[in-house]
Amino acid sequence: MAIKNEAAVKPLKPRFSDLIAPPEVKERWEKVRKYFFLRESTYDMSNRCNLRCDGCYYYEGEKQFAAENGEIQAWRELMQSEAARGITYVVLAGAEPSLVPELLDVCYQEIPLGSIATNGFKKIPESVGYKIHISVWGNDETSLRVRKAKNLLKKQIENYKNDARAIFVYTFTRENIDEVHEVAGMLAAENCKLTFNVFSSPVGYNGSLRHTDESLERTRQAMIDLLKLYPQNVLFSVYNAVAHTHQSGLHDLYTCSYPRQNSSQDIGLGRSFRQYRTDLSWDRSVACCVPDTDCADCRHYAAGSAVVTARIYRHVNSLSIFKSWLDYVDTYLAVWVMGYEKGKNLCAEPVSPPEVKKVGNIS
Amino acid sequence: MPEAHDIKGIIKHVIEVIIDELKLEEVTVDTFSPDMDLIDELGIDSMDLATIALVLQDEYKIVIDEDDYPKMKTVRLIAEYVEGKLSTEN
Repeated sequence: MAIKNEAAVKPLKPRFSDLIAPPEVKERWEKVRKYFFLRESTYDMSNRCNLRCDGCYYYEGEKQFAAENGEIQAWRELMQSEAARGITYVVLAGAEPSLVPELLDVCYQEIPLGSIATNGFKKIPESVGYKIHISVWGNDETSLRVRKAKNLLKKQIENYKNDARAIFVYTFTRENIDEVHEVAGMLAAENCKLTFNVFSSPVGYNGSLRHTDESLERTRQAMIDLLKLYPQNVLFSVYNAVAHTHQSGLHDLYTCSYPRQNSSQDIGLGRSFRQYRTDLSWDRSVACCVPDTDCADCRHYAAGSAVVTARIYRHVNSLSIFKSWLDYVDTYLAVWVMGYEKGKNLCAEPVSPPEVKKVGNIS
Repeated sequence: MPEAHDIKGIIKHVIEVIIDELKLEEVTVDTFSPDMDLIDELGIDSMDLATIALVLQDEYKIVIDEDDYPKMKTVRLIAEYVEGKLSTEN
């Protein structure tokens, strides 16, 4: 797919005030900037899972061996201290948070904005008002093979259809690109919301799920096709597709701002982000939203939501790249924040990420 | 467009921009200390700072490098940075 290279087309940098002058841009800018107060950290809730999936991030590296602290009071105190240091948004993840609903409740009581990454096999109580991200890795045949789970999609839909918290996250691997159409059709038929992730290899992983340039290109096309086909169900934008299927990973494209790749503690994620293990310890040197991922291969949707958003100043070189950035941030907020409704995308054409010198086709 | 390009005038205008952009209601140009730590005391973060930098770029017709954002911890430091840029770029 041809991508417009803005730097080659329009070398003069516009004034920021001119960029936000068009009414639809101004409106979207004012809408998204209200959420600039979000400051996230992530928390492994349990070292147990009711599935065993190939390529799982949790069961890589040291974090899987941390002891499980299931003390409600310890979690309450942790959340209170997190709020006190300015954390306004929590991401509750590994291994499977639905197995510790009492801890999810405590987190929600102390910090009311957040999301939970779950496999969707066990429903999370409605008292927990966070966004719920349900991981989908293909159709039921693939889930049985990769995740050893029978009728997983059917079970996930059963648990979460008509649930305003739920976002189904389809992770594109090298092997499941074509079946996304079948899965998206099933989810759309049940009026479920869907967004996309791109498999990002754990350190040392060279298995069959790892993407190639060719599979990234096909993934991008599938994303854009589904965005057009199910605009009411798919929470995504063309720029999301470009950013997450580029030949270069997110770190090379945008310079990852999570502590693992960012030594600065002055401001932003480098200052405030922590990734807690199940024993409530954390280690700055490995802290990021998907620990133990190979940074060079990282195209993870959670990483992009923070990293692309933070690079606003690299997206002010033209109106189309700024609109693309707004689409990206609008998508991120709709996927991650309860009550935030996605608007219509402002830029329908694929625009090259800033400061990438390649022109034309990515592959 | 800011009126004065001396350090006092720049400080005053930077404060006006911060109050306006962040929609602060409890401070005024007169009560806003130019030495207040914007991150620790006011609680602003990278996205707010980037927004302020983009507005100041427009208004003073200077380029603020993204690597310099973390240096801008107080209004005085921002104003001194802008003053330095004005003397070298204009």
